[in-house]
Amino acid sequence: MQERLSFYKKRESAVHRLNPLSKLTLALGIVFVSFLSPYYWTPHLLILFAVIPLSLLGKVLREYINAMLRLILPTAGFLFIMQALFQPLEGVELFRFGFLHPTQESVLFAFANATRIVVMVSSFTIFLLTTHPNELMTDLTRRGLPGQFAYVIISTLQIIPQMQAKAQTIIAAQRSRGLDTESTFFKRAGSLIPLVGPLVFGSLVEVEERAIAIEARGFTSTRVKTSLNSIPDTNKDKLIRWSLIVIIIVTLASRIWLS
Amino acid sequence: MAIVNLQNVTYRYPLTDESVLKNINLQVDEGEFLAVIGPNGSGKSTLCYTLAGFVPHFFKGEISGSVEVAGLESSASTLDEWVMNVGLAFQNPFNQISGAKFTVFEEIAFGLENIGVPREEMKPRVEDAMKLTGITDLADRSPYSLSGGQQQRVALTSILVMQPKVLVLDEPTSQLDPIGTREVFGVIRTLAEKGMTVILAEHKVEWIANFADRVIALHEGQIILDGLPGEVLTSDILLEKGFGISRYTSVARKARAIGLWKNSNLPVTLDEAVDGFKR
Repeated sequence: MQERLSFYKKRESAVHRLNPLSKLTLALGIVFVSFLSPYYWTPHLLILFAVIPLSLLGKVLREYINAMLRLILPTAGFLFIMQALFQPLEGVELFRFGFLHPTQESVLFAFANATRIVVMVSSFTIFLLTTHPNELMTDLTRRGLPGQFAYVIISTLQIIPQMQAKAQTIIAAQRSRGLDTESTFFKRAGSLIPLVGPLVFGSLVEVEERAIAIEARGFTSTRVKTSLNSIPDTNKDKLIRWSLIVIIIVTLASRIWLS
Repeated sequence: MAIVNLQNVTYRYPLTDESVLKNINLQVDEGEFLAVIGPNGSGKSTLCYTLAGFVPHFFKGEISGSVEVAGLESSASTLDEWVMNVGLAFQNPFNQISGAKFTVFEEIAFGLENIGVPREEMKPRVEDAMKLTGITDLADRSPYSLSGGQQQRVALTSILVMQPKVLVLDEPTSQLDPIGTREVFGVIRTLAEKGMTVILAEHKVEWIANFADRVIALHEGQIILDGLPGEVLTSDILLEKGFGISRYTSVARKARAIGLWKNSNLPVTLDEAVDGFKR
């Protein structure tokens, strides 16, 4: 059974040591620049000069390439084909096949979009690979994010695998009583109904118990919360965050100004 | 001195017609170990929730009479104040894991973070609590990778670390296997020896006989027996009302009917039974 839902890879690196908020700003900054920049080559430069160096620095290049090949490139490729073929942009017609008549403009548009998606998913992949969810939430809570919100995010990461395991148990229990899970689509869809009842109602009962359990540990206490682990926030972090904000503003301004 | 004082407490859950607790009067002294027995639906859990402040602060509903625990008066205080003074642990170990933390150490510190304990103070408190319950070696494990008995001990430690004046345990071993049960009772024994005020709702009468100072029997929301474990746990009334009783008591009762048990008192534990038959 999977213990939790998290991409985090524990390594010793300069990227891992950064403050989680700096890393979040970095990831968002890369996304903003790639989407706001009017040039179609910006995403390529970002991949070459920001994403790949960061993955090297964070010692997660292998995991990143893995995610790239398995998830990011296939998704972006699919997106590119669909948009290139079906985006009705006026312009130089490349070829005509039945009702399909892609233009040079639609292909360029699709290409720019797909590469932006690649940059977005890439930068967040590296963010998630190098940031422990708990550190991120602790840091954000310290900066004023409501504790309840952080709890929902973190507990979801842990509870979803638990619910999957429970669903498996219920399926096994129902199958042992003759539930059909292997025949036609409609029969199988119908067999979901006896699964949903126990899973949903069981979870609702659990929610109350869990609410009592965390309440018994002062979850909604009005006192100012403290945290067990201190999250480093150095001057370097502040510098990184401010420069990124400047870069985002400059890109935004250039976008408005240039177009 | 009584640390728990319940006067004529009657309670009804919201949207129900019948009272779950009926006219409960209960005093518990500081350092006393009180066990609560009763069949399912007798109001054990509700009594535990009442002592821990969750009735009426969490469950709402209608309560009458006065509830006073650790110097707090139910109607004049908030749940926030209660959790600082009264600890509550219950049946399902899995549901008591917060889900917000990735290691046992962090899990135990969760309560301290919530009530704003300074970081320097937090570490030694967590370490002490873990030492007390014997789970120091689990510190870096994920709370979800543990066995039921280990999870329940983590849940207990998470409550103990908040240093409650009264500890309320609602059938903490009912979902555990015999090994887990032994582990958890080992912890409860340590607490009892340290003089903690413990209120334990439990079915396993042989364990209760081993360390409770006093036992009350709940039936349909009323206290029908209140006294020393040896008296309450062997009472004929338990049989009439359908309580679970120790197998040693049953054996001795049958032996007495045919003249083989000569003692005036019936046994609850194996040792008492062996002693009694030797005589």
